Order: sequence, then C-alpha cells, then structure tokens
Amino acid sequence: MATVTIDGQTFEFEGRPRLLQFCLENGIEVPHFCYHPAMSAPANCRQCLVEVGTPEMDRETRKPRLDDDGNPIIRYFPKLQTSCTMEITDGMVVKSHRSSETVERAQKDTLEMLLINHPLDCPICDQAGHCPLQIQAYKYGPEGSRFEFEKVNKPKQIPLGPEVMLDGERCINCTRCVRFTNEISKSHQLTIIERGVRNYPMTPPGITFDDPYSMNVIDICPVGALTSRDSRFKARIWEMSKTPSITTGGANGNNCYYWVKDNQIMKVTPRDNPEVNEYWLPDAERLDYKRFNEDRLQGPAVGGVASSWEAAYDAAASLMKEAGKGRVAFLGSAYATVEDNYLLTRLADALGSSTPTFIPHVENGRGDDWLMTDDRTPNRDGCERLGMSPETGALATRIENGEVDVLYVLEDDPVAAGILTAEQLAGVKVILHAYNTTNETLPAATVSLPAATVVETVGTFVNQKGHAQRVRPAKSIKGMNRTLMMEVGKSRADLHGTPFDRWHNESNLVDCQPGWVSLPAVAKRLGQGMDYRGPKYIMREIAESVSAFSGATYDAMGDQGVRLEDVGAAV
Amino acid sequence: MEPKTGKAGDWRNYERVLLPKVKDLHLLEVYEANGGYKALREILTNDKWDPTAVTNEVKKSGLKGRGGAGFPTGLKWSFMPPINPDIPRYLCCNGDESEPGTFKDRQLLEYNPHAVFEGMLIASYAMSLAGSYLYIRGEYADWITHMEGELKKAYAKGYIGKDIMGSGFSTELYIHKGAGAYICGEESSLMNSLEGKRAYPRVKPPFPAQKGIWGYPTTINNVETLAAVPEIINRGGEWFAGIGAPTHAGPVLYGISGHVNRPGVYEYPTGMLISDLIYEVAGGIRGGKKLKALVPGGSSTPVLRADMIDGVTMDADSLREAGSMMGTSGMLVMDEDTDMVSFLRRITHFYHHESCGQCTPCREGTGWLENIVTRIDEGEGNLRDLDLLIDLCSEMEGRTVCALADAAAWPVRYTIDRFRDEFEAKCKASLVPSGVELTEATA
Repeated sequence: MATVTIDGQTFEFEGRPRLLQFCLENGIEVPHFCYHPAMSAPANCRQCLVEVGTPEMDRETRKPRLDDDGNPIIRYFPKLQTSCTMEITDGMVVKSHRSSETVERAQKDTLEMLLINHPLDCPICDQAGHCPLQIQAYKYGPEGSRFEFEKVNKPKQIPLGPEVMLDGERCINCTRCVRFTNEISKSHQLTIIERGVRNYPMTPPGITFDDPYSMNVIDICPVGALTSRDSRFKARIWEMSKTPSITTGGANGNNCYYWVKDNQIMKVTPRDNPEVNEYWLPDAERLDYKRFNEDRLQGPAVGGVASSWEAAYDAAASLMKEAGKGRVAFLGSAYATVEDNYLLTRLADALGSSTPTFIPHVENGRGDDWLMTDDRTPNRDGCERLGMSPETGALATRIENGEVDVLYVLEDDPVAAGILTAEQLAGVKVILHAYNTTNETLPAATVSLPAATVVETVGTFVNQKGHAQRVRPAKSIKGMNRTLMMEVGKSRADLHGTPFDRWHNESNLVDCQPGWVSLPAVAKRLGQGMDYRGPKYIMREIAESVSAFSGATYDAMGDQGVRLEDVGAAV
Repeated sequence: MEPKTGKAGDWRNYERVLLPKVKDLHLLEVYEANGGYKALREILTNDKWDPTAVTNEVKKSGLKGRGGAGFPTGLKWSFMPPINPDIPRYLCCNGDESEPGTFKDRQLLEYNPHAVFEGMLIASYAMSLAGSYLYIRGEYADWITHMEGELKKAYAKGYIGKDIMGSGFSTELYIHKGAGAYICGEESSLMNSLEGKRAYPRVKPPFPAQKGIWGYPTTINNVETLAAVPEIINRGGEWFAGIGAPTHAGPVLYGISGHVNRPGVYEYPTGMLISDLIYEVAGGIRGGKKLKALVPGGSSTPVLRADMIDGVTMDADSLREAGSMMGTSGMLVMDEDTDMVSFLRRITHFYHHESCGQCTPCREGTGWLENIVTRIDEGEGNLRDLDLLIDLCSEMEGRTVCALADAAAWPVRYTIDRFRDEFEAKCKASLVPSGVELTEATA
C-alpha cells in the first residue's frame, strides 16, 4: 500500500488525500486558519506550511532512485508547501514544525505577521478562550512583536445582518465566511472588499446578510471578527459549560452544543455530525433557546393553586381513578422523548384507553431541503414508531360527544395548536405536562405538572430520516435526581455541574420534572408499577419490545446517534 | 565579463519591426498596406502550416515571454492539452502592464494594435482555440476605445470570426478592460478578474494550461510576445533567432525612464549593452551627471549599482550574472543625486498599495516594509531596522500564492544590500556605540 512519512512516522493511505486533512484525521496537529474540511482550500493564511519531498524517480525503470544505503533519494520542493493543498503521493516525506526548524520558523513568522495589525483586544473579545488565532499564537507564535507602528484601522461594530456583527480589525482574511456563503449556503452575500491590508468581509451594496444560515460564519471565523449579535458580551467561554445534544425546533435533529451559564442557556452552536447536519446549524434553531430560560412554569398546581409534587400526583391519579374505563383520553407529544411517550402509551394501555395520539405541528414552506423542515417537532417519527398516530380531530369529536372525562396531555398545547378549544375543555378534567407559562391550555388544566425541556432531561428523539439520537441534561433543575446528576456529570464536556464542583450554581433552577419521573409517579398511584432505574432502561425495554426500535440502545446511539434501520429496527 | 560590444550586433542600423517607422500604422488600412495580416493569410492558406508547424516555428525562433518571467513561448503553447471538441480552450493576451518603470506594451497597443491582434490570431490557430481575450489595464482607456474600433474593422474585413479567409478556421477575439489593479497582471489573478471575480491569484497547480479561464485550458502571453509572432511567420524563426543575444533572441522594446535626456520606448535587439542604452540610445544622463543606479526590468528586479553594469547586456544570462533580471526591460535610470532610501520608499509604497491581501506574509509584510523604510527616510530609523527589513524579506519570499511578495521583497533586500551605507547614514546614530565617531567611512 502507498505510504507517506510525516515527521519520521510512516502512514499508509488510499486514494489521493490532501496532506492537511490527512494529518488532522491521523491526530497530527498542523496549525491552520483558512482551511475548513467542508470548503475549498484557497491556501491564503500560509500557516500550514510544511517541507515536502518526493522520491527521485528513475525515468526508465519508473522506480525510486536509491542512495548508497538503499534508501530512496528524496528531493525536497525548494519552497515550503501549504499542506492544505498538497496532494499526498506514494513515498512522500513531510516535515512539519516537529522536525523542521525552517517550518517552525515559517509558522512563527506567519503568526507574527497575522498579529501586527490584529487589535489584540482579547480581554474584550468574545472569541477569547476558544480562538484559533489566540491558541495558535500562544503555541506556535513569537514571544513578542517587532512591529512598532500604528495598526491599520478598519470598520468596527458593523452589523452585517440581523445576527452577525463584524469587527474588521480582528479579521485575518481567511475568507472562510465568504466561502461559506459561496459554497455552502449559496447566498453569495459576503465578499472581501478593499485591497491588501485594508481587506475585510462585507456584504455587497444594498444587501443585508440575512442568510438563514448566517450564524455559521461566527463558528467558522477563526478570530473574533464575526460575533453573534444575540450572545456577544453575555458570557465568556470559560464561564459556560457545553453539552452535546440536538436542537428540537425541527424534524432534522440537528446536532448542537448547549452553552450554559448559571443554569441559563446562553447560546447554541453546531456539533459536527456528517450523517445529520455536517458542521452547520440554521439561525432559527440557534436562536430558539429563550423558551428554556424564560416564562418557565414553576412548580405543580392543582385547580390553579400551587401544590406540592406529591399532592399533584395524588390529584392526577384520583382524577383518572374516578373516570370510567376508557374515559381517559391521552395526548402524546412529538416534542417529548420516545421514553416519555412510551410510558404514556403504557399508562393508556393499563387504563384501557385507546392509544395516545399526538398533535402534528407543520408549518408549510418553512423547510428548505437542507437542515430546516416544515415539521416543527423533533420526534414525530419516534411517536409513529411507538404506534401513535397524528391527531386529526377525533379527540375533539369524542369530547363533544361526552365520551371523555379526563384528558391527559403530555408536553403540548392543544388549545394553541387549534386541536381543541377552551370551551370544549370546560367540561373535561385536564392533566397537563407543560414547559412554559405561555401554554394556552394551562388555564384549562386541573392539574399542571411542569415538564423538563430538552436541555434538562435524558431521552431519545428520532429525526425525519429515522436517525435516533440521545439528548442529555445541559443544566440543573430544582428536583435533581441521581440519574440526572450522573448524566450532567457525564455529558457536559467540562464535567462540571454537579453540586460537588465549584461551578455548581443554585440560581435559575426551574421547578419541573422530566416525564420519566412524573409519569411513573402518577402510574404508581394507579397501581401500575413503572420501576425504571432511568431512561436508559426504559429505552432498553423499548428496544426489546417495540420492533420499530429493535437495537436502539443508548450504547448503539453513542454521541452521533444511529440510523434505526442500521441496527435492525423495523422500518 | 561580457564583451564591451554587447550582443546586439550592428544595432545602430537596426530596422524596427515591432514599432516600424510607418505613419498611422494603428489604422487597419495602413497596417494592411504595410504587409499586415500577411502572416495570418500565409498560415491559413498555405497547407504547410498546420498548427504544429506554427508552434514549431515559434519554438525555433527562441522567442521568450516579454512579460517578465521570460518563459519560452513555443514551449508554453505546447503545454496545452490535446484537443477535445467538448472542452473549449482560450488564449489570453496580458496587457495589464502596470509595474513601475514598465510602459512598453502601451506603445504597441497605441501604435501597432493590429500586430497584437494578428499575433493572437496566429496563436489561436497554433493552439486551435475558439476564442481569445485581450486584457488591457483600465488606465489605457483611450487606446482601448481606439482598439475596439479597429477590432470591429478587422472583424468586418473577415480577419476574425467565422471561417477566416475561407480556411474553415474560426475564432473570436474580445477586448477586456481591467479596473486598475497591479495584481491583475499576475496571470491567474487576471483570469479571475476576467471571469468577473475578485482578482485574487489562484493556487498553482493546477496551471492555466490545465485549468484556466472558466476552468478550461488557457495560455497567457504578454502583448509584446504576441506582437512578435507575425514577423516570426513572415521572416522565419531563424531570422528571429539571429537577432540579439543567442539565448534570449529577438527584438525587444526597452522602456527607459528616469534621469536620462531622452526617456522613451526603444526597439532594439536583445543583448544591448546597458551603457549603450543609457548613453547613446537615451542620450546620456540628464545634466551630464554620473550614473548611480539602474533597475533593469521593472521595479521588482534587483537594482544594480553603476559599478555593476560594466559590460552587462540586456538579456537573461548577462543580467543574472550581474545579479539582477531582465524582467520587462523597463529600465529605471538614477543619477548620482538620487536618494536610494527615498527611491525604495516609493517602491515599497507601491507594493503595499497593490498587494491584493490574500496571503498573510504579503498583505501584512508589504505595509510593514513601507512603514520601516519611511521611518528611515524621515530620519527616525534605527540601524537595527535594516536587519529587520532583511528578515522580513525572508519571511515573505517564496511563501505566498503568487510572486507579488517576492516582487515586493527583492527591491528591499537588494537596495539595502547594494546601498547599505546610504541607509545607515539616514538612520539615527543613537544606536552607534558611544565613543565611535561617525565618519564618512563608518556612517
């Protein structure tokens, strides 16, 4: 097999990989700024320079010429080469900064050049702490600067569009943002203007950077030139913990990180997943986090009066006990996890009620055949795999006909959705799991149970393509339990967030419970044992008992989720 | 040491071919009356001229590119991939001449535009191209207007377009106006500009012959290079190869500017003695002063001291030996009163202004160089600045996508190297160790 030698270590390769990409995939760090694996390589930052040599070939035999010791004679390129554009060939020898002083010097030189006109305002820059320029300058750059002149002044604090703010002076002209709009989102809304050292990215005259994916340029900007108008100056990167999870504003299940400070979500950024969303996230889903922080329903209530959780569970159980057999209707939710919906179907089954339905939330024209979908719910596929069907109006008819005594609603809002009216609900006892005080069904609720949102629970969602993915708690709630605590500890990339570490914070705790806590509590009072050690075990039971989920264990899902078909689930 | 006679032979009786002494040659009628488009007719109507034969004739002539790099033209043409009817291929004539000291293509565009057209058409035939572009810098607006008129006339006469002269060969020719950026003279940047994109140079490989304009095989030649082609066909490659320096043959346009009595563009054979060009052709140094320095081929080529030009001739070999380059043969002549620091300040300003800003070392380095040279020129520099300048040149040379960083660094490196005493004299004396008295010898 073809081989390449990098810093004395030999690697095998297939095809014609590019050197920088190959190094990254093999865990060899080569500093770089402009290269991004999803986009073309303009080789403009000149940071990834390496020494490259190829074996000297004998023209007649077409074999490498050997020296006296029998080793191939290597002929080095006279100039340093950009590893991002260099195609690897058989027998190539590469020297990075680890084995070549010339390369080490060149990398130091480039960083010196990059920094001379950079404002070095890291103390007030949102990028500080996770800034490739800052990190690589410390790691590979010179210790000081020999530049003794006034820096170039460029426009600062320029809103390029509704979400993105430009600081021209921080820009190092890598053109990643321009290439993103040209090659990925295809909106062509950014270009470099001016010339030479005065260059910076800008929209064409009369154009606003309102690309629905505009905020991705913030993530790929290797400096703090492009920042989020929404989240800038709100939290330093080291004050936040980040949790790998998925967004729930659509049916694609885009992978993301939730950034948390003081139990508040501060921002949402994309998490790489080649199967689902590659490196990107739509703006709408990044900005869809305020509902986790604001207008949260705090503590349960019975008859509109605040109560304890125990009293609320008791009240819910007695309402259902009093209802006649089959006269409790269950409404599941495509916003809720597979686990919670499964528990609901079990409860409905035990009480002799018909299988829960769920409310479809579709907004025609919202989808874009990419990461946005018409469907605004994250788990429709998961609900259907549990045998639940979308609500088409049958529930309203049953209520109108007086066939329903109690309506049990899991994490949804039938009034706002237009499925049921307040008048229709007047004669029905409603048990409602709700996230926010803005829930329009809340006034009709006899028992309200505040529900944990996607950033506070553990569970599974299945996207529109049958890709099952786990969510993990990004922040604490008031009623933390052992499972949640362990999941927070395990999932947050910084391993902080438990009461035992210094980042633990009691502020902004929401008094709510995940469905997999509250549903078994109610079921137990109805004599239905639902003893699970946690959602992981619920999912294990689902994988064993529901053919559409065969093989869908947490282990199989891992960090990147799993296509249910691939683990043997029935389609 | 080269012979004092130079390699240009009997240049005093040289008969001009690129810019012949013909009144109103820029008009099609006059050009035709003086043998214009004869070469094109010859290759299109005489069966002995298949495309390969034309290329071979150009190879035989030894014509080297006149745009600065001096690459053999015939060889460049032969780099075009084999013909594939599904894949268009292009020629681009580079008329974006904008390096300080270079103004020779302008003469051709102004006085002999049809020679450029004819050269382009012959090249199009040699490489079997369906179309070619003539990219001219926007500042040459008047000549562009004139050339567009002449191009229309040539189309009307059937020299360009479908089935030229009944030969079955068809090709189009377009004039494209640049918008005033030095970088557009870099061939890959020129292609981006032509395509309507920002004129950032492209990463090579792929080279233009593989992936050029619109992603298709492209050859790019300088105006003067292509203007020489019709006479190579008319008089034969051997005739051309016999003119001037054997290894760098042919007539060439010398653009002589600076402190000479008769600055201008002069057509003579290659291999002229620099001293002949300055003292005879350009009428000597203004005011009878002494020569101090000379830049032989446009501002990016290394400057030569007066004592370095003895016996040096204007061809690649001799100039390389002398420590410089032929470049575009745009000569900057400087007399004994010239302040070399001030000269370098102007040059660094130019490259700072013209760096496209794509690559870090050039974008940042060109401005830094100008800053330091300006500081020295204003008497605020320190001796260590000179070492820093040389160090910065090393940080820039060979580390960018195109050669602009090299073009910006070389003048700094070589002007300091060859006139270091002048730079040191302008630096602040504060860094000179105490007790050392500055004399003329040590300053």
